[in-house]
Amino acid sequence: MSETGPQNLPDEALLDLLIKQATEGLSAAEQRALDVLDNATASAYLRDFERAAAAVSLAGTPGEELPSALRARLEDQAQSFLGATPSPNVLNFEAPKAAPVTPGPARGQAWGWLAAAACLVLALFGWLRTPEVVSTPVAQEHDLPPVSVAPPPKIEPTPSEERQALLARADSIKVTLQATKDPAAKGVTADVVWDPQTQKGFAHFAGLATNDPKVQQYQLWIFDGTRDKRYPVDGGVFDVPANSPEVVIPIHATLPIRKAAAFAVTVEKSGGVVVSALGHVVALGTAG
Amino acid sequence: MQPITPSVLQRIARGEPAAVRECIDEYGALIWSLARRLSRTPSDAEDATQEIFLDIWRSAGRFDPAQGSDKVFIAMIARRRLIDRLRKTTAEPPMDSVEVLDTVAWSEPGTASETSVEAEQAARALQELRPEQRQVLELGLLHGLSQSEIAERLGMPLGTVKSFMRRGLIRVREFMNIDAAGVLSEG
Repeated sequence: MSETGPQNLPDEALLDLLIKQATEGLSAAEQRALDVLDNATASAYLRDFERAAAAVSLAGTPGEELPSALRARLEDQAQSFLGATPSPNVLNFEAPKAAPVTPGPARGQAWGWLAAAACLVLALFGWLRTPEVVSTPVAQEHDLPPVSVAPPPKIEPTPSEERQALLARADSIKVTLQATKDPAAKGVTADVVWDPQTQKGFAHFAGLATNDPKVQQYQLWIFDGTRDKRYPVDGGVFDVPANSPEVVIPIHATLPIRKAAAFAVTVEKSGGVVVSALGHVVALGTAG
Repeated sequence: MQPITPSVLQRIARGEPAAVRECIDEYGALIWSLARRLSRTPSDAEDATQEIFLDIWRSAGRFDPAQGSDKVFIAMIARRRLIDRLRKTTAEPPMDSVEVLDTVAWSEPGTASETSVEAEQAARALQELRPEQRQVLELGLLHGLSQSEIAERLGMPLGTVKSFMRRGLIRVREFMNIDAAGVLSEG
């Protein structure tokens, strides 16, 4: 494959502005700077980078079903659109031509995550104490809230019901999490059920300490056997409100899980983190 | 790449009413997925999805299958709208890992072709990047974090983040075999 090398590219400062525009947009000052520098070639490069960013988005974004209420709104909108005079085209899409290429073979990857996860398990299990019962949690919903427009009444199963249904399935992965000796984990019992096909799962905790969401939140992590062991996949953050004996947490994996190998729960700063140092683990369990 | 039958976008451009609704069926999942990742709240994602569809319907006449796949066209429109919305709202990062991020999939090379040729090319390019480079692209392009936010979250100098983003996108661009003049490189 021949490549368009960096030697053909604009200078680095212009490139950075173009890439920033394509990936996150520019401030007014940056836009003015780009306007000064801008020319036809720069515009073409901008489209290139927008196109590349769009392709990366496609490679990393599996479709997920539209909420039914939103679909209804879109259909109403379509009806309105069809009833109105079409507006002129609003976007200047002039993507450069692309041709299929014959890419080189993907690199093989040997992650060795398992050994690390096992070491972590051993280290954590060494801390274990006899659990003490602490009452707390309440169910937390991580799904999008129902859309408020045109909602035909529909009873959605609760996370607990969905978890039970998943537990009943033979092909789901069930993992018991072991509590560490972290104070927040005293007396905790926890488990995870995961469906590799639908990439849905639920974590269930009893006795996990209440957290103050403004200060700290719990975050669930999934160790994928096919990925770098240093970067477990974010499964979502959650809270444990006071006076709730149990919580059932829908797991939202931020990457596709090809081989769920282990699950861990950490305490992180409010809002969670993208990459955890795994320094404050409260529960951990391995699959299989 | 030229489709035998007209695409939904081409049919919208021709004024076929049925195609407008078919567009929801065909691209709704993709747009919703993008909107969820690059919006600050679920409500924002819903509003953005509606705006994106309007943009698409209005822009369908611009689609030229000889210049790229329909899905890349759609994703470009969606990303422009979503970036624009992000910049107009407060400084909080998108929903990201906090609540709403659902599955974000780096397609395995060899499987992304079902999405589009370009996605397959991007997936192969990503495989060649170092994990930390790939992570910068992931946080920026899939999670909607700004370069400054990525630097903060990863404890990485901003210059390094810029460099990783620049090199990564250039690599993807190379795999997509495009150049600034829109001239095809030889495969």
